[in-house]
Amino acid sequence: MTDAPRARRAAILAVAAAAALLVGWPIARLLGVALEEGPAQIVTTLTGARVGTAVWNTVWTAALTALVAVLAGTAAALVTERTGVPGRRWLRIGILLPIVVPPFVSAFGWTRAFGPRGLSDQLFGISLPGLYGPLGIVLVLSVAATPLVWLIVAGALATRVEPDLERAARTSGAGRIVTLRTVTLPLLRPALLSAAVVVFVFAVNAFGVPAVLGAPAGFTTITTRLYQDLALSADPAAFVRATTLAVSLIVLASAVVGSADALLAGRATSRTALPAGAPAGSAGGRVLALLLGGAIALTTILPFSALGLAAVTRAAGLAPVPANWTLDNFATAIDGRFVAGLGHSLLLSVVAATVVLGLGAIAAGVLRGRSRSLGTTVTLGFAVPGSALAVGVLLAYGGWLRNSLAIILVAYVAKFWALGYRQLAGSVDRLPADQVRAARASGATPLDALRSVIVPFMRPSLVAAWLIVFVFALHELTMSSLLYGPNSATLAVVVLNVQQLGDSTVTAALALLLTGIVALAAAPLAVLWAVLAPAGTNGRRRRRDRRPELAT
Amino acid sequence: MTFTGGLAVSCRNVTVGYGPASLVIPELDLEVDRGEMVALLGPSGSGKTTILSVVAGFLRARSGEIEVGGRLVAGPDRHEPPERRDLAVVFQGYALWPHMNALDTVAFPIRRRGVVAAEARREAARILDVLAIGHLADRRPAELSGGEQQRVGLGRALARNASLYLFDEPTAHLDAALRERLQSEIVLHRRRSGAGALYATHDTSEALALADRVVLIRGGRIVQQGAPATVYACPVDLWAARLTGPASIIDVRLGGRGPGRVPVDVAGCAQTVEVESADPVVAGPVRAVVRPDWVRLGGDLPATVEMVAFRGPHADYRLATPAGSVGLRVPGRPVIALGEAISWTLERLWVVGDDAARPMDVSL
Repeated sequence: MTDAPRARRAAILAVAAAAALLVGWPIARLLGVALEEGPAQIVTTLTGARVGTAVWNTVWTAALTALVAVLAGTAAALVTERTGVPGRRWLRIGILLPIVVPPFVSAFGWTRAFGPRGLSDQLFGISLPGLYGPLGIVLVLSVAATPLVWLIVAGALATRVEPDLERAARTSGAGRIVTLRTVTLPLLRPALLSAAVVVFVFAVNAFGVPAVLGAPAGFTTITTRLYQDLALSADPAAFVRATTLAVSLIVLASAVVGSADALLAGRATSRTALPAGAPAGSAGGRVLALLLGGAIALTTILPFSALGLAAVTRAAGLAPVPANWTLDNFATAIDGRFVAGLGHSLLLSVVAATVVLGLGAIAAGVLRGRSRSLGTTVTLGFAVPGSALAVGVLLAYGGWLRNSLAIILVAYVAKFWALGYRQLAGSVDRLPADQVRAARASGATPLDALRSVIVPFMRPSLVAAWLIVFVFALHELTMSSLLYGPNSATLAVVVLNVQQLGDSTVTAALALLLTGIVALAAAPLAVLWAVLAPAGTNGRRRRRDRRPELAT
Repeated sequence: MTFTGGLAVSCRNVTVGYGPASLVIPELDLEVDRGEMVALLGPSGSGKTTILSVVAGFLRARSGEIEVGGRLVAGPDRHEPPERRDLAVVFQGYALWPHMNALDTVAFPIRRRGVVAAEARREAARILDVLAIGHLADRRPAELSGGEQQRVGLGRALARNASLYLFDEPTAHLDAALRERLQSEIVLHRRRSGAGALYATHDTSEALALADRVVLIRGGRIVQQGAPATVYACPVDLWAARLTGPASIIDVRLGGRGPGRVPVDVAGCAQTVEVESADPVVAGPVRAVVRPDWVRLGGDLPATVEMVAFRGPHADYRLATPAGSVGLRVPGRPVIALGEAISWTLERLWVVGDDAARPMDVSL
């Protein structure tokens, strides 16, 4: 029985090697190139007016986005998980809807809905001032990030804040508000902090939204600056500037993640969840449902509808009435570049999802309960902003793989490995160890046990991990826009390029097609979510649903 | 608003459920006097926790009225939230707030009464001292053992100064020795406070030991209620007999009318036995409950010992008799070996019908 530890050691080595190649080496190269120029050069670059402005813009819009999204997502989670609002299932779906819309598509939808010559301008003569610029960036990023916050907070409400803890406060004489202030929110604090960190990193990482909404207003962030320096400029000084910017992105993200990790250390304990106790449906519940539903309609459904209308309208600026409708935009949109881009995106997404599933499963299996640092490296890939990771990958492997699909694949796998790993590691942690032991004690070989006990138990997680990576890869823009070559543009890049040429109706058609494809891929995911939602197991959810009308 | 004398809680025609077709509590009428401890005894899933939840206000009743401390808290178009009901709850899983230490936890309900912080902490410290955990005041739940945690939970409930205490299997997660200690503390402090209490449990000995009155719950209905000695001696049906303690069920033939001392034919052997029953019984075949302490070693009836279990203060035997399997309890250590043929005497039996289809009360 000495080969079991040996096999394990080999697997750990393989995971470590993959982590080093995919994440470690690109980041090391990035740091190396940036430091080559010397600290003086870094300081000069960072304090230079153009770069300094971009860094400062990134920091404050990301911080504001984190604040807005955490407030909105927490309020939404408290409403759907802790009050008896009618139509709770539909509200949950509505809240999660933005996940399938690529953020830059959503930004484009907002310009069609609330921008100058957008839907609200045409109908009522009002448009949102400041949509092009920081205000619009913060709003659209907040809408895109709210589902992330909702998922984290709803999960914490289900696991950390047992309903009995709130009931104990109520029977101690505390009203709803006092209970929220003294019990619910203090227990949610770690979740709120990690949600804020996730949103901050997401916003720092964002490229499509500032590209669509910031560039026309001359408002640059680190990622759009990087794109200009790297993709649109051949100047060697621009490349050095880009590496410095990429490093500052990493420093920014890891400073926030690191300090949050320190704050959260040792507080991750959570006890098992009991069926949630939610107050009964009432007039107040209907008002809450209306408010939340209205917010979803205004921020998600309306922009998307405006996008749909723009896509079928003959030319930008025409009233979106049936007389002006046409399908020509789709005919124009579906050209050679679109088909090639679709092919590249599907190929990359399928391969990336499959590779990540394999790597993630191995990592989750061998890292179970040990080698925390290796797990951290895997997760790091996701925390490193995409632009920085792309520059690092370019530096590390650009020599051989420049302008190929393979270099995009390397970046995808490095970035999304963590997504698959997280999903599978959670499932591995819940593996019923005694069931495996029972299988072995009944005469099963390790392989039999894997096939008959472990895989059936993990099947939902395996499917979910594959689909999540597939969906994320399908609408990835940040890294693709920096790494693509003449013959390796992905679908999202094609859409962005058309958008930047300024043909808004064709862009709308393309954006609609892109979202349709993503939504199609995400549909099975939504079904999975409905079965496992929101953060509990099937059985737990059924028990909760079986409870009678729950009271205040 | 109606006031009802000295009752701690009164439930009238309370129903709970999702719809008329699926009621968790079909209809509940239950009263607890001030100073009275009532145990809700039933297997898991019988509706005990649901009853406590509807009284506490965690659940909304479909119909019926609930008064707590003489004040209507639930009725038609009326549903007072838990914080406005004059009651306190001790939870099965303790439900201690992980971010608060013992002192702040116990001070929490006092603060909610509007007492200023310093005064509330003084009062909380007094309660912790009474419960002998004053030295644990600044510990958080993670730093406390299960027994200490539940004592903090008890302290939090006592600090509420309520007319009614609801205990939801508070000792279920504790080991036997701790359970007994906590039980005696619950009895002592609850009695001292003079409030009424509803105590849900699936543990028969706990219910019989703690309560002034035991209420047997099955499917959300009250099957029987009475003093602990009564529900033990006079179960309304076979289900109630098995729930309220060790019970052997045997088929015998009565030679006369009961209740009273009646000649009984136990598998062909005649004996005079104390026959008891809820309703008068006539001569003929009956099904009877026999408790282990209603049987004596020695006598005319034959049996073989088919199981011996040493329990410490006493030993339990199972006897294979011509009338069926009969349990027997004898103080001290086992004196008969497995498989040995012995003789025994039936001193007393309780005549029951089959399981009652509808709830009934027995008052003896």
